[in-house]
Amino acid sequence: MMDEIRKELKTLEESAERLKELAKNNNAVKKNADIILTQLYILKFITPVV
Amino acid sequence: MNYWNPYTETLPREKLEAIEFSYFQNMFSYAKANSNLYRDKLSGIEIGDIKTKEDIKKVPFTYKEELRKWQENVEPFPYGGLLGVPIEEVCTFRQTSGTTGKPVYVPETYESWQWRIESWCHILYMAGFRPRHRLFLPFGYNIYVAFWEAHYAAEKLGCEVIPGGALDTKGRINKIIELRANAMAGTPTYCLNIAQEAREMGIDPRSLGIERILGAGEPLPEATRRRIEDTYGCHCFDHIGSTETCGFAGMCEAKEGLHIIEPFFLVELLDRETLSQEVAEGEQGVIVITPLGRRSFPVLRFNTMDVAIKGPDSCSCGRTSRKLMEIVGRVDDIRKIRGVLFSPKTVEQLVRAEFPEIVEYEIVVVREGIMDEITLRCELTPQLNGAAAEDAARRLKERHKIKTNLTCNVKIEPTGTLPRFALKAKRFHDMREVIK
Repeated sequence: MMDEIRKELKTLEESAERLKELAKNNNAVKKNADIILTQLYILKFITPVV
Repeated sequence: MNYWNPYTETLPREKLEAIEFSYFQNMFSYAKANSNLYRDKLSGIEIGDIKTKEDIKKVPFTYKEELRKWQENVEPFPYGGLLGVPIEEVCTFRQTSGTTGKPVYVPETYESWQWRIESWCHILYMAGFRPRHRLFLPFGYNIYVAFWEAHYAAEKLGCEVIPGGALDTKGRINKIIELRANAMAGTPTYCLNIAQEAREMGIDPRSLGIERILGAGEPLPEATRRRIEDTYGCHCFDHIGSTETCGFAGMCEAKEGLHIIEPFFLVELLDRETLSQEVAEGEQGVIVITPLGRRSFPVLRFNTMDVAIKGPDSCSCGRTSRKLMEIVGRVDDIRKIRGVLFSPKTVEQLVRAEFPEIVEYEIVVVREGIMDEITLRCELTPQLNGAAAEDAARRLKERHKIKTNLTCNVKIEPTGTLPRFALKAKRFHDMREVIK
């Protein structure tokens, strides 16, 4: 299950980065994409590979 | 579900330790690259030198005094050389209480704050806080971190939070009743003060309906924890943390020591004499901490100066994290009086366990000629006076001698003489260095 979770996190990270790229001129979207990336930092921290 | 994160909370020890070592290496590299303090402090050590867990000892301890030094007149204001991110990323200012000297200013970014909150969720969840709880926080949080952490973590795990600042104690009691709050987090001292005030208002603290209390901001000796449970008819839990390191250990429902929040923190418990060897189970050690994912304020091997008894690596709750069985006190609170080591915590244990009639107390140590004198100033419940008060004073003197090997004077003070504390209580006054 953890492998699937990590795979999904990778997909989310790519999407959030893409969102940021698309929203270069939209502070609101860019900031919220940043928040997703912050939560992904936490999510990766709490699902470490052993 | 009994765990906040069943994956990390039940990992086998060797796996947890491997993760923590890998996180430590990451944090070492990050701190060295991004914090002026560690660029300087680690100038003779490279990441290649940290190959095994034993190599962690090559990294020097960080002391609070250093943190102060690296902030004083050092840019960028006010965080100085401790900042681990560009200052534009800082979104919240916090500071230490300044109990032991000049406060340390602590920068939090959105990321570091979320990391702290996630760690705190473990503390609340293992203490049984759930979405059904309406949590009353009886403080104005101000610039201090603990209750902000409790607030945000409780929100995250689904509790309903009532911020109880800007009210006096009576107002808070009325608000608890009005909103039917059923959980609380507070300094142990203030939880007991609230109960005393409730009694004076004619309200039995047990009728308030508080089911769970988390102690914060002060040590919580077992006797005090039990007194709070008896007073409110609730479950009371302890945790430990600091502004510099975050909350790093909490009590589960088994109430047998504090679980370290792993793998958020690498906690070393080192012998008091040489600070070089991990102590064995049942022994006292100094707590040294590295938060492993907080980048706004990297701190490696922070010597907390707190002393704890090492617990077992297992618990009936099933968590595999290491445990601290008991927080003994701060290294600098343990004093030599007439040649005997004295910890104020022993007096707190004694008062809370055996003297329900003492509502407030303080310990004053002075030097009379060449002799150290201890005086316990006590306030008793208002209805107690005359022979009953004298009897309490006599018993306290006797029990103090047995518990500490030191004779003391006991002075019964009129009601309302001693200070009442909402945040960190300061009941120990060693005046020997002040008055010469």
